Formats: sequence, C-alpha cells, structure tokens
Amino acid sequence: MKIEKANDIPLEIHDMTIAYHKKPVLWDVDLIVPEGKLVGIVGPNGAGKSTLIKAVMGLIPKASGWIKVYGKPYEEMRSWVGYVPQRESVDWDFPINVREVVLMGLYGKIGWVKRPDKAHVRIAEESLERVDMQAFAKRQISQLSGGQQQRVFLARALAQDSQIYLMDEPFSGVDAATEKAIIQLLGELRSRGKTVLVVHHDLQTIPNYFDWVIMLNMRIVATGPVSQVFTNENLHRTYGGKLTILSEAAEAVSRT
Amino acid sequence: MKSVAVLTILILGLSLVSCSTKQDSNQDSKLYVVTTTGMIGDLARNVGRELITVESLMGPGVDPHLYKASQGDIGKLSKSDVIFYNGLHLEGKMVDIFEKMSRQKTVVPVSRDIDRKKLRALDANKSIVDPHIWFDVSLWRETIPVVQGVLTEKNPQHAQAFRENAQRYSEKLDSLYHWVKFEIAQIPKPQRVLITAHDAFGYFGLAYEIEVHGLQGISTVAEYGVNDVTNLVDLIVGRGIKAAFVETSVPQRSIEAVVAGCRARGHEVKIGGSLYSDAMGQPGSGADNYIGMVTANVNTIVSALK
Amino acid sequence: MADQIARFFSFQDANVRYVLFGSVILSAAAAVLGSFAVLRKRSLLGDALAHAALPGVCVAFMLTGTKSILPLLIGATVSGVLGVLMIQAVTASGKIKSDAAIGIVLSVFFGAGIVLLTHIQKQPLGNQSGLDKFLFGQAAAMLPKDLLVMGMISFFLLVVILLLFKEFRLLTFDPDFFATLGFPVAFLDLLLMALIVLAVMAGLQAVGVILMAAMLITPAVAAKFWTNRLSAMIAVAGIIGAVAGFFGTFLSSLAPRIPTGPVMVLSATFFLILSALLAPQKGVVAKWRLHMRNKRRMAQEHFLRGWLEISKQNSGHDRVEVGELATHLRLSRQAIEKAGRRLMRQGLVSIQPPCFALTEVGRQKATRLIKTHRLWEYYLIHRAQIDPDHVHRDADEVEHILPPHVISELEKIVETEGVGSGKFASAHPT
Repeated sequence: MKIEKANDIPLEIHDMTIAYHKKPVLWDVDLIVPEGKLVGIVGPNGAGKSTLIKAVMGLIPKASGWIKVYGKPYEEMRSWVGYVPQRESVDWDFPINVREVVLMGLYGKIGWVKRPDKAHVRIAEESLERVDMQAFAKRQISQLSGGQQQRVFLARALAQDSQIYLMDEPFSGVDAATEKAIIQLLGELRSRGKTVLVVHHDLQTIPNYFDWVIMLNMRIVATGPVSQVFTNENLHRTYGGKLTILSEAAEAVSRT
Repeated sequence: MKSVAVLTILILGLSLVSCSTKQDSNQDSKLYVVTTTGMIGDLARNVGRELITVESLMGPGVDPHLYKASQGDIGKLSKSDVIFYNGLHLEGKMVDIFEKMSRQKTVVPVSRDIDRKKLRALDANKSIVDPHIWFDVSLWRETIPVVQGVLTEKNPQHAQAFRENAQRYSEKLDSLYHWVKFEIAQIPKPQRVLITAHDAFGYFGLAYEIEVHGLQGISTVAEYGVNDVTNLVDLIVGRGIKAAFVETSVPQRSIEAVVAGCRARGHEVKIGGSLYSDAMGQPGSGADNYIGMVTANVNTIVSALK
Repeated sequence: MADQIARFFSFQDANVRYVLFGSVILSAAAAVLGSFAVLRKRSLLGDALAHAALPGVCVAFMLTGTKSILPLLIGATVSGVLGVLMIQAVTASGKIKSDAAIGIVLSVFFGAGIVLLTHIQKQPLGNQSGLDKFLFGQAAAMLPKDLLVMGMISFFLLVVILLLFKEFRLLTFDPDFFATLGFPVAFLDLLLMALIVLAVMAGLQAVGVILMAAMLITPAVAAKFWTNRLSAMIAVAGIIGAVAGFFGTFLSSLAPRIPTGPVMVLSATFFLILSALLAPQKGVVAKWRLHMRNKRRMAQEHFLRGWLEISKQNSGHDRVEVGELATHLRLSRQAIEKAGRRLMRQGLVSIQPPCFALTEVGRQKATRLIKTHRLWEYYLIHRAQIDPDHVHRDADEVEHILPPHVISELEKIVETEGVGSGKFASAHPT
C-alpha cells in the first residue's frame, strides 16, 4: 500500500529557494530533520515559516532545490506526510459536518469517485476520539469554537495515518484545554516514532513543547536540538533587534 | 517641455483644419443624403436620381427597432447635407442622435406630412402609432412630396428635375398599389390571414383587406411569452391556416416554435417564405428596392396562401 | 384567468410542454453548478462567463454564416472558457485581485461582443438578426431540438457532479489540503469551471447571456439558508431552480406579452427573498423570534431575581412596588409591568397593584436563578480556563441559556471547592 522508504531521514531539504515574483522569500534552505522528533519552527512574521512547509508539500513552486522524504521525492511519498493547515485557510461556514471533514483525510486512500466505506468511517471516528471530539461528529462546522475547529483539523490529519506531520500554527487562537490536548497528541505521536514539524509563534513554550527547533528568518538561522540551539544569540540573529521579543525570548532561554 | 506644447498645438490645429475642410468639400458637389432605412434611401434615389448621392445606414436584414448607430454612422450623418428618417419612433434607439443632428443639419422624418388620421393608433389617446407606413403603398406615396420639397429647398436649381422625377415615381407607386390590391384579392377569403413574426404588417392588412397577426408586438424590442405563442397556435389551428411567414430582419426561431406547436396538434402549417418587413433584400436579389420588395412580398404571400 | 390556469395544467399545448421542460432542466442544472460557484466565492464568475460568451457567438456566426445552435454554442463555450482562463492568468500575477479581474475580463469580452454585433449588423448578409437575442434569450421559443441539446448537457453535468462529488467538495472547501493528497487540483478546478461554462451555455438560448448569472447564483444562495449539508444544498438549489423555471413558464402562459426568461429570474429571486426571511434558524424571521424569546425570558428572570433581592433588602417584605423594581433593574415601568403580567400567566407572580408578589413557585425559581447567577460569575472569574467550550458570552446573558446539567456540574465544582453556594457576595451589584 505505501511506497517503501529509501532511508531513515524523514525530511531532507537541500538548497531550496522560494521566490514570489522574483523577490526571494526563503533563501538557500538546507536542513535535515531526524526521525521521532517534535520540531518547532519559529521566526518573526513574514519569515517564511508557512512558506517552508507549503513548499515541502509542493503547494508553492520552488525556484531551486529539492526535497526528500525518507530518501525519495515528496511526490512519491505523499501518503507518508500529513498536513494540518492554518485554521483561517478555510471558510468554516461551509455546509459540511465534522465527520465529513475528517473523512477527507482518507480521500487519498479511497481514490477517485468511490465513496468512503464503513471501515473508513470507523477510522474517522477513531481519529475524532483521539482528539475528544467524537460527540461532535454530526455537528455543522460553523457551530464549533476555535479550539474545536483546530481539533477537527488534527483529527483529519490523524486519519491520514502518516509518518510525518506538518502543522501550521495549530496553537494559535486556541483555548487552554485544546492546547493541552494538542500537546498530549504530539507526545503520543512522538512515542509512536512519528516526526512532527509545527510552525509555532509562542517562544515561551518552545522549550516545553519541542525537542528540536528550526529558527528561520528567510534563511535558516539555526536548527538542531532545543537545548543546544535555542540560545540568546540565535534568537537575536533570528529576530533582529526587536526588544520586546528579545526579552520574552530571554526569559524562554533562561528556562531551558 | 516647450517642444511638447508646440507639438500639441500643431496637432490640434491640424485636426481642426481638416475637420472644417471636410465640411466645405460637400458644398460644390452633389447633395449628400443619408437615410436610415433602405426603403427611404430608395425613395430619395428615385426623386433625386443622378443629382444626389444617397447612403443608407441600415442594410438588408437589419432591424430598425433595435439599430444603434455606430461611430462610423455618426461620421456619415455629420458629413451629410440632408438626413431622412422614418419617424413615428421606428428608429427607437436613434432618437437622441436625430435631436442632436437637427440643431445643425436638415433632419426630416419622411412621415411628417401624413394625415394623422390615416395612421394606426396603438393606444387609447393616439400618442403611439404604428410606424410601418411603407407597407401601405398609398401611404408611402405620401412621403414623396416631403422628399421632393426638402431636396428642392436645398438645391433649387434642380427643382424642375425633382418635380418630374417625383411625378414619375408617384405614378409607378399608384400602379403598384392597384396591382397589390388585385393580387391579394385572389386569395380565397378564409385563407386571407397573414401570420408573421412581429406586428409590422398592420397597414398592409388595412390597405389590402387581409387579416394580419404577429407574434411579437409592434417593436421587436418587446419580448414575447409562452402565452403569445399558444395564442397564435390556437388561431392557426382553429382557422386551418396554411402558411406562416418569417421575416428577414427578425429571428426565425419564434415562427419555428409556432410551427412546432401547430404540428403537435396535428396541423401542418408551412413556412410560406421569408418576407421583407423592416428591411429590403440583398443587392441583386430583385428586392433591393422598394417596388421590388413589395412585389416579392406579395408574390410570396399569394403563392403560399392561394 | 381561471381557464388559462386550467389550460396550463392540462399540458395540452406543445409549446408549453417544450418551454416547461427546457426551463426546468436548464434551471436545475445551472443551480447545481452554481452551488459550487457560490461556495467557492466565485459567483461573479458565472456572470463573467455568461457575458464572455458573447464574442464567441458573434465569431461563430461570422465564420459559419449560420445561426444554427451547435456552432454558436461551441463558439460561446470557447469564448467563455477563454474568459475564465484570462481571469485566472490576470489573478495569478498577484497584482490584481479576483473580483477586479472578473470585472475587467467581463467588460472587455462583452464590449468586444457588442462591437462584433454592431459590425455584423452592417454586413449585407441579410440573416444576421437574432444574434442579439443571445443577450436576453427567447425562452418562449424553445424547440424540440433545443431540448435535446439542453437535456444532454444537463444530464452530462449531473453525472459528472455525481461521480466527482467528494472531489469537488474538498476542492471547494480546502484546495490546499486536497493538493497534498495528490489530486490534480488545478485540473479539477478547470474542470469545474468548464462545467459551469457548459451550464451557462445550456441556458443561453432560453434566458440569454445577461440573466444567466442569476439562474446560476440565486437558487444556490437561497438553498444555503435551508441546509447545512452540501448534498442537500445542491438538491435544494436544483429544486428551487426547477420551480423558478416552472413558475416562469406558468406565469408567462397566463397573459400576452409576459416574457418567459425574465419571469424565471424574478421567480428565483422571489424564492431567495422568501428563504432569507422564512428559513428556520437562518432566516430573518426565525432569528428575530429567537432574539425576542431570549429577551423576554431575560426580562422575566431579571424580574424574579430583582424582586427577591429587593425583598431581602426590605427585610423579607412579600410585596415589591413596581417603581422599586424599575429603579433596581434600570428598566421602564411598562417593561416591568409587561414582564410581570407574563410571569403571572405562568403562575410565578401575583399582582396586587401597584405591587407584585411572588408565588411559592415563583419564589423557588427566583432563588434558583440567583444561585445560578452567582455560580456562573464565580466560575467565569476563577475557573473559566478549564472548560471553555461553554463560555461564549458574559454572565448576564448566557446564564439564562445554561442547560440544567451544566448548572448541576457547576454546583458540584463549587461544593468541592468548599465555597457554599449563595454564601459569597456577588462580584458586581445586581
């Protein structure tokens, strides 16, 4: 069913540059992400964080470079990669219920024209249970709170049963309970040997949630284990001279 | 900066000069007459003959109710010495242009001198009339003096010639009128019903004693509905009418729908032919002048209904 | 009139049957495709498509010299698709947003079409009349051969939509995610556009270029008021479209000079207005009634609470004057009296003018309300972060909408925290 992997490196990006209308947005990205890590991607606004993961999945064209998932091109390994887009990227007023959204994660496996069968529905329901949303299965998505919407997106990604997950700001605008639930989920995924990359905006929580970090400001400033790489100096290089951010960052660093 | 200003003034000046020279150039040559419909153009041609140049804006197959003047038309109208139009709101979309042009030019509706009582009123207070006056040859004949008068006014030196031409053409139209009356009378009374795409043939019906029914109203601008179609089908089937007629300037679809409706009720009404209603025929078709147009129409009608 | 109506429903007139069949089919097909256009926020695209078809019709006529339906439809389709591609190209550069792009392309193509029409008018061809009928349509003149074409197009459209329903749904909802699953999003997007083009073409002869946009969009927007599921929305849109087609035919059969196409569009609009007003939950009327009900209930509950509080302040008097209540609750005397009368009908209050008194049942309810209110305040202030799914608005409003099981949960929490209910002061007066 799934294509065989060529090596044990979940994600390898080499010399990737993304340009919107000639202006470079991401420059010369080179990185290797090891397996089984929870990776936080940080950087100031407009640094290219979302761009990075969208480029990995081919949603944005590359000006140069290549991307390998477990040693093979991403296009061949799609079923190994799950995606949780930003919550704002869809219109939640769309006439659809929670379960149908989660089932969408299985469309790749279901294929063209065919409808989901009972087995697929069961997978969807199990995914909903893992995010504690099973009671909402028939609920219209416009009736959900922000945190619930985020959990639906997560459930959809879980249904994909991938080995690597790319998440775009899953923690933004969610309540404390949902945040806790996401952390728990991430921990579960890691314990199963999955690799998760998360675009994250809150520097304070990086040391708590993640063991690996990618620090990004149009180019890779630093990447590696949080304990080694998440330093004052690197934060300064990533965020420039922004004082308020620095002081937050300083506090975060002091807790590592 | 300076050179740009000089250049601009030069260009503006040149264009002004060229405009005015164009206007002057017509004064010594033949009178340039511009008409709306081809029928009026033919009218002018028969009165002025080689002494004038005539151009018509609307060619064969053009619907005068819907016609909108193009930039080229405006150009021709501006260069003209005389503008003739039908009037009575036939050229519905050109009213503003006539108004504008009449401030500086001779703009004359050829229907001007027709006795109001002879016109078909379409509403209670006689404020809207049927403009299709060319369908009654005797009415059309009354436009000849108008054309003759205007041309004579513009070119008094040719008054004699215009008078003689007008006289000759009037006589031709007189005999045409009688011929049409005779031909139509050949159709047996029960078959003497003319079914057409729009209500253009009112005067035809009145003058030659034939019943007329159109699907669309007086103007093709108005849309018809299902009720209009079924009413016409009822009429045709009820009276056993043999033929209906399409018009060159109106889409055939409407009559085709009527035919289909009749067929479904077991009555085959054929399309008797294409009539020249609001426009004349192609050059060389024989119907490219008024007399030819009337003759062709009558022959088509009579042979289909007799 | 009555016999006209009877005649219509006897379906004896072939023309009525043709027009009815044609209108219903085209409206239904257009509405189904229109649903996707509306949800993709591309409603204007349908309008642009319809207008962009005009130059194609003219060119087809100029090339073939005939007015037969097939070449004209092909011309219209090619032109319409070109318009869509151009819109996409213009938007892709990023400098021009999609609404501006649609407006620009629409105007350019339509203008070009008018220029061509005028040019054709001047040609000595003799049979060019009727191309402008593509602008407004001739619904009343539907012929069996038209029905065949329309029927085939509609059938094809519905089949494709049925087969690729889940794909089009995900495409419309979350195209990015869809792409990551490996589906060819750009191709499917173009396919959807092509289907919309086809739907527009099917209705061109009937309703014309200008009104076709309405048949695409209006039923879909109306349908959205009634349902929360895409499949239901499409079905309802199709039904509304079909009914509009039916009404257009019916009304135009009753009297002369009522054009079928425009009446169809007006019917669809009528249904839209009806839906916006009357739809349960989403309709204006429904929302207003809910609002009024809540307002009334709040006023009553404020009344009860206020009464008890004043009575306690006046050391347990069992009568409270209207004026006191009005001042305490900061409402008008009329409002108090109105609420009081309603409560009286429910048996919670008795009137002894100018005072009100609570019945035993009323007293119990008032006590319960005060307790709930205090619980809720405490909860919001101290514990809101634990169960946020129940927190939508502030205390004064939402407490009236709390379901009983939530209230009992709150009580349990408060008890375990060791804070006796009703024994702590309210955080804010009243």
